[in-house]
Amino acid sequence: MHSSTAYFLDSIDIIDYIDRCKRLLRANTGDVKMFDYIWQHLFTPFLRFWFKWFLRHFTGKCELQRICGGYRPGAARTLRAEYSLESSKNKVLRAAVSAEEDKVEECAMAIMKEKKVSSQKDPAFKTSLQVCLMQISGYKILYGSVEELRKQPFDCENNSHETMLLRLWDLLMPSTKLESRITKQWGDIGFQGDDPKTDFRGMGMLGLTNLIFFSEKYTDVARQVLSHSGHPKLGYSYAIVGINLTEMVFSLLRSGALKPHFYNTAFQSPKMEHFHQLYCYFAYEFDKFWVEEKPESIMEFNRYREKFHEKMKGLLQQPDVSLCLTVDSKP
Amino acid sequence: MGLLTILKKMKHKEREMRLLMLGLDNAGKTTILKKFNGEDVSTISPTLGFNIKTLEHRGFKLNIWDVGGQKSLRSYWRNYFESTDGLVWVVDSADRLRLEDCKQELNALLIEERLAGATLLVFANKQDLPGALSKDAIREALALDSIKTHHWCIIGCSAVTGENLLTGVDWLLDDIAARIFTLD
Repeated sequence: MHSSTAYFLDSIDIIDYIDRCKRLLRANTGDVKMFDYIWQHLFTPFLRFWFKWFLRHFTGKCELQRICGGYRPGAARTLRAEYSLESSKNKVLRAAVSAEEDKVEECAMAIMKEKKVSSQKDPAFKTSLQVCLMQISGYKILYGSVEELRKQPFDCENNSHETMLLRLWDLLMPSTKLESRITKQWGDIGFQGDDPKTDFRGMGMLGLTNLIFFSEKYTDVARQVLSHSGHPKLGYSYAIVGINLTEMVFSLLRSGALKPHFYNTAFQSPKMEHFHQLYCYFAYEFDKFWVEEKPESIMEFNRYREKFHEKMKGLLQQPDVSLCLTVDSKP
Repeated sequence: MGLLTILKKMKHKEREMRLLMLGLDNAGKTTILKKFNGEDVSTISPTLGFNIKTLEHRGFKLNIWDVGGQKSLRSYWRNYFESTDGLVWVVDSADRLRLEDCKQELNALLIEERLAGATLLVFANKQDLPGALSKDAIREALALDSIKTHHWCIIGCSAVTGENLLTGVDWLLDDIAARIFTLD
């Protein structure tokens, strides 16, 4: 049984070999644009179709079955399943990537019916496919809720917003009382002026919620990061940097770059909490990065922000990526 | 078309302009820059340090510097004065409470020697907000009419809708071009 599983795995990787051939051919072609066009519109669909046809008849399993059986759960499996579903000609399969959470089981059954998969012959398939679907559609749903929170502007008339803002102060500065709602003290935790309301900008309540989540779940770490930000030479505006990092995590979510991370770390569908957790990782790691890099002044922020962004993008491209905050024993 | 015009036109092609965009925090500097460059303006966060964009407009190569406006960053502004052709001063027209602050910061810039030759464009931004002051009210509040040292102009605009951004930048380019490319 094991050797045959390994064999299927090799068969799927043929696609990777084709990709390598493509790059070699492309490099040796004069007209790269034309080559890409031909490849994309004629070659890939054609080859993919015949490979799938061949493997389907040779192994007696459909592509999704080969993926679920041949790859470890997590990004390795779910990313391939997502690609397979999205490029399918079948409507049922294509629609499955945006299934609501409570429709996932129904969807999996419909796919099995379409693909004539018998649950007796492949008993593990249904569960594996369901997990994949939960993760794939969960990512899209998560993006929707994150976007909704982002679009909600900070509103001084809204009591719950105001309470949250004051709570952020209490969490970060437990021994100092805020003298009034509008005060220069806000600068001590890295807001720009004497009223933070205008600092949330395009990140809205998402920015504030992330700041509070970090201070609440990792109070000591957050205070330690805040103390670094007050350094006379390497100092930076804690809250404003936090809002910038929220923008970074948000843009990575929007581009789909966070998929490998969430597929590896969220057991089923990724939730808001996973997003906030990832923000905490970014906030902690950026502080470490900043202190290690020793920038000349805060005016260099964007250069180091970009460098950090590239570093994170690099990590996120690794198939087994899992960005979890682990605190060094020595602060 | 005379020879001089042709020569002037040829010179335009290779000409670069350096524009420096300043103003208090939350004035909308980054939004103006991004909108002008055709980028998404809905996910902006406060600027730490600066942004720089190089773009082509009407045959000019524009280097636009957008420097963060929060109080602790203002002392760094002077690092960006050198060889500035145009100063864009951005005002949040709805922020009545800080107009005095805004006026003082602008006046401090106008006495800077390294900005002496620069043309001044004031953007009375956020005209789309209901509480925004008109461009004439801003002109009065900032006492622009008393400026004798610089060519200046005030334009009411909205960075979010993009209204009048082009009008402002075009005026600025015309003024700079007339000044520096005629003198050569």
